[in-house]
Amino acid sequence: MKEQVLNTKHPWLVGVVVVGIGAAYFVLLGSGQHPEPGLNLNYDVKVYEELDRIETRYEEAPPIRLVMENPRAMAVHDGDLYVAGKNAVAVIGENHAGARRFQITGTPNCVAVAPDGAILLGMTEHIEILDRDGNPQATWASFGAHSFVTSIAAQKDSVFVADAGNRLVLRCDWQGNVLARIGKKDAARDIPGIEAPSPYLDLAVNPDGDLWVANPGKLGLERYRENGDIVTSWYHPTLELSGFSGCCNPTQIAFTQRGELITCEKGLVRVKRYDVTSGEFIELIAGSKLFPRQQSVRDLAVDAAGRILVLDPKTESVRVFTEKGAGDGKTAQQT
Amino acid sequence: MSELTKLDRRDFMRGAAAVTFAGAAYAAVGDKTEGTVWQLDPNKCTQCGRCSTHCVLNPSAVKCMNQFNICGYCDLCFGYLQPGSRGRDTGAENQLCPTAAIKRTYIEDPYYEYVIDEERCIGCAKCVKACLVFGNASFYLQIRQDICINCNECSIAKACPSDSFSRVPASTPYIYLTGGVETTIPVRKGEEPQEKTVQHPA
Repeated sequence: MKEQVLNTKHPWLVGVVVVGIGAAYFVLLGSGQHPEPGLNLNYDVKVYEELDRIETRYEEAPPIRLVMENPRAMAVHDGDLYVAGKNAVAVIGENHAGARRFQITGTPNCVAVAPDGAILLGMTEHIEILDRDGNPQATWASFGAHSFVTSIAAQKDSVFVADAGNRLVLRCDWQGNVLARIGKKDAARDIPGIEAPSPYLDLAVNPDGDLWVANPGKLGLERYRENGDIVTSWYHPTLELSGFSGCCNPTQIAFTQRGELITCEKGLVRVKRYDVTSGEFIELIAGSKLFPRQQSVRDLAVDAAGRILVLDPKTESVRVFTEKGAGDGKTAQQT
Repeated sequence: MSELTKLDRRDFMRGAAAVTFAGAAYAAVGDKTEGTVWQLDPNKCTQCGRCSTHCVLNPSAVKCMNQFNICGYCDLCFGYLQPGSRGRDTGAENQLCPTAAIKRTYIEDPYYEYVIDEERCIGCAKCVKACLVFGNASFYLQIRQDICINCNECSIAKACPSDSFSRVPASTPYIYLTGGVETTIPVRKGEEPQEKTVQHPA
């Protein structure tokens, strides 16, 4: 029997069988003994990213490069752009030309400019005020150990301060005294309560003087009176482009001079335009493709020319979005 | 050979004692290089899912952790809930985790605590990715050192597409999301959370 096998008349057949067994081994076992994760073990984000891969009316202009460590906040006033970061505030002139710079101590979370030009810096749990030349004028008392100031709107008679730590908006006088606490849950006054699961809580006053506050946990906006009464609200929790997704959005809000609401979201970063009264989604300005693998942007503003300004921590620059055809052709500036 | 044969018994015992003493002295003051263990850097992880399928252990030694000082305790937790789920409750049809390994506990309106049941967790990273994209990115993967058998060649490390795996000193075996190496063990169910600090997600 053994003699027969060794002296087979079809050695090529034996060779083919041996090669076949070897190939089968490598295909089935040799290429890896571990299966790749199946669909049930994958979380497909592309489905949601694809939603904002659409043509928009906006294009990105050259960014404003910031020579500043950890730029965290910005504001627009009288054509100037104020950017605050670690130990510095830069004031960038109209058309992004020229810059002044003030030394400060610490890194503000937010910055605002009063009608008279005073600069308000939101530190973690208190406010610091500089005059228009950057000279320190006042430091308010702490709002408390749990405070985390994230936004300021300075009016002639009062200052609104968003405190994400206490999930409140404080209305203060110019000495820092708290006049009203806005947004605390109160069933008797139909106030649902501000939900801030992360350190993002933004507010803005529109050209009509109305106070709008983002309620990031509820994925919408609320409008309040100065005494804390709620006037109206709208929420759009959805994975569709028309609303807000994630745990806490919108993270930043701003108004154009015409009173249009501009919002910014974290996670899948999107910049969008809404009708603030109805909450109707109008259009996408910039989608997540322009902010890859990014959790958030630092701040949002609209300048006098209607350009949308986004403070991008990854590139340490202010990214500029303009309506197509309205580009000013400027080159990138450094401040 | 002839020299060796001349050793008497006393000389032999002296030599053996000298060798033993020298060995003991070397062990006491000699090389103190500590051992290393495998760990993955959550800041490099791309949540590919291979940690669940490529570990030699079943279920994998890679488990999800929740860094509570980053977690938003959200009602609408994307790491817990299926995208677009109708309800925000513990119904199985609402849960994202394929093994229902995340426990949702009411804290106060409208906040919930999310704790990983590691006996059920298979390290697939679905919740990690969802929390990264839609939440505060508080979920992350780590190799549990009390489960890992510390293979000479880690089969997950071989398959990891982002080169997240490396050997780290056994005395600092966990890597937190902040990128720093910690000596403390990440919080487990029933344990006290770490000191709370406010952090801006990156």
